Amino acid sequence: MRYSQYLAQTNVRHKTVSYNLLTPKPVEGDPDALKPKKIEMTLKSAGNLLGPYSYVRIMDQIKAVVPLAVYLILFQVLVLRQPIDQAVSLCIGLAAVMVGLAVFMEGLSTGLMPFGKIIGDNLPKKASMTVVYIIIGILGVGVTFAEPAIGALQAFGASVDVRKAPYLFELLNNWTLPLVLMVGAGVGIAAILGTVRFVKGWSLKPMIYCALTPVALLSFYAWSDPNLVSILGLAWDCGAVTTGPVTVPLVLSLGIGIANAAGKGNSSLSGFGVVTLASLFPILAVLILSVFVSFQVSPEQIIAASQTASSNAQVELTAWDKTPLVEIVLGVRAILPLVLFLMFVLFVILKATLPNRMVTFYGLTLSILGMCIFNVGLTYGLGAIGTQTGEALPAAFMPLDIVEHSPHYPELIGFVICIGFAFLLGFGSTLAEPALNALGLTVQELTNGAFKKSMLMYSVAIGVAVGIALGVAKLIFHLDLMMMLLPLYAIGIIMTVLSTEEFVNVAWDSAGVTTGPVTVPLVLAMGLGLGNAVSAVEGFGILSLASICPIVAVLTMGLVIQFTQGSKATNES
Amino acid sequence: MAGRNVTYLSEANLITCVLQTGLAENVLDAAKNCGAQGATISYARGTGIRERMGLLGVTIDEQKEVIRIIVSEEQADRVFEAMYLAGGLDTPGKGIMFMTKLERVATYIPESVLKEIA
Repeated sequence: MRYSQYLAQTNVRHKTVSYNLLTPKPVEGDPDALKPKKIEMTLKSAGNLLGPYSYVRIMDQIKAVVPLAVYLILFQVLVLRQPIDQAVSLCIGLAAVMVGLAVFMEGLSTGLMPFGKIIGDNLPKKASMTVVYIIIGILGVGVTFAEPAIGALQAFGASVDVRKAPYLFELLNNWTLPLVLMVGAGVGIAAILGTVRFVKGWSLKPMIYCALTPVALLSFYAWSDPNLVSILGLAWDCGAVTTGPVTVPLVLSLGIGIANAAGKGNSSLSGFGVVTLASLFPILAVLILSVFVSFQVSPEQIIAASQTASSNAQVELTAWDKTPLVEIVLGVRAILPLVLFLMFVLFVILKATLPNRMVTFYGLTLSILGMCIFNVGLTYGLGAIGTQTGEALPAAFMPLDIVEHSPHYPELIGFVICIGFAFLLGFGSTLAEPALNALGLTVQELTNGAFKKSMLMYSVAIGVAVGIALGVAKLIFHLDLMMMLLPLYAIGIIMTVLSTEEFVNVAWDSAGVTTGPVTVPLVLAMGLGLGNAVSAVEGFGILSLASICPIVAVLTMGLVIQFTQGSKATNES
Repeated sequence: MAGRNVTYLSEANLITCVLQTGLAENVLDAAKNCGAQGATISYARGTGIRERMGLLGVTIDEQKEVIRIIVSEEQADRVFEAMYLAGGLDTPGKGIMFMTKLERVATYIPESVLKEIA
């Protein structure tokens, strides 16, 4: 025992007070005397309460962000020998990401989630199923807007070269609102189908086949058109972006509430499947939108328009562009529609009141505030460091203008370093994702321990790592994304046919779980930076590879377990 | 079934400690370091003070962890105090704990232990 501890323990003074003195006594003529009174807090005890409260929540985010950031910075400084650019604004940005996420997550759980729960519990009692489905659909659009990672997509639009990928440029710069709306519509349809699935108890397998068929057909169409090829990476990445920390819990809590009210919520698997659908339908939606855009404008028009726009833009660089104001406005715009819609449903359609109005209001304020802070951090922190490392990454194997003495290593070793870096990044960031831990626990319970938590976590992490490594390889060697995605999805489908329903649910959902609000912007920015540096057409596609690889990994794991258990069973009999 | 017998333990106390989720580990460690032999942890939901605190109520987690430890009378005060200090119950919002006398306790007691004290 340390001396200080000894002192602390021997210095404890004891005193006994009768509890009789503290409880309220009945007073003649005052019926309210026994009712609990509001507690008055001194400033000091309020501080004692607030201290640990904020500490725990910020620590969670620090644990998620700091190791990744340190890994990137160390890699850039030690391996790529490239000093960190704008270190001060970078640090402030990263701090903003952590604080913003902490505030936003707290707001989500105290403000938005109670809304979702009340609506999910009460809606089926008071409205017809059609109305329920419509509301869920609109909610899908709302949550997509609120998703922190979706802002990342918009933020990186400007870095696309208009000449090489005209339609990609057009979509990300002039069609951002329709793009997000379409992604939202995809999530909305997925949410509706997912809820119908809860209620009717449908199998997930045929839904995966049905959703993938049009996606594959449209992808082939886009692949055959040289102007549309560049859109594929974005479209497939959108699936991974949508299934973040807002969509998954909110849609799930609604869906489960409705399934419970319909009396079908008892299946242990009822929570799964929505995430899968929510990552497949947005792909379809973005593909449809880009085909639509390709009928509207020609590539020549886009290039011409962008040139006039860029010559105009250089003249006026206002304070608006230099300050984080625009990020703050974007943050408000992201959350407010969702909040207003939820309020509308609750007060107008359900005519219900909130159980604890002040706390909910506090939560909503926090979620808007957190979103704004996070948005600022996204641009100045995560996005900046991702882009920097991505741009400096090729210095390992090829000469770069911005890096002195590059290449640092012989070409082959350089490639190995880059791909190894991507692999480790994927592996580490996935293992750190809290949602994966939760999924692992659920799966362990579902399979009665046959599929261990650590086994799931490692197979998902290896899957993501391989996916990100493949994505980086795609950018470095200018590989065709479709040539990588199609075989992987084909393997995934074959394995889906062979696997049992449980594993199919878990495996397809694991992909969505891994792409959190920290990983997505970081990987997107890194991909785009790297893409620019090696002058690839576009830097998208890493995330889509990082979604399919864990699916294949988990399905493989599931089949192995299924096989070994099957052979064990035959041995025993 | 002849030859079975029940050994009662007397002079035992029960310490119950209701804590905000996440604090239990520390308190359990402290109790075990003071000689507590085992503990049962269950999860519960608390109510009361939170609602009366207004907005500051959000700082207190609704989810609670309830630790129950059976201690001998000799060690009771030591364990109780150690748990109180480890849980930081002298600051607001952490939790509440109490100790009750137990009439009798019975469990499996190894032969060797019984012989040793006889």
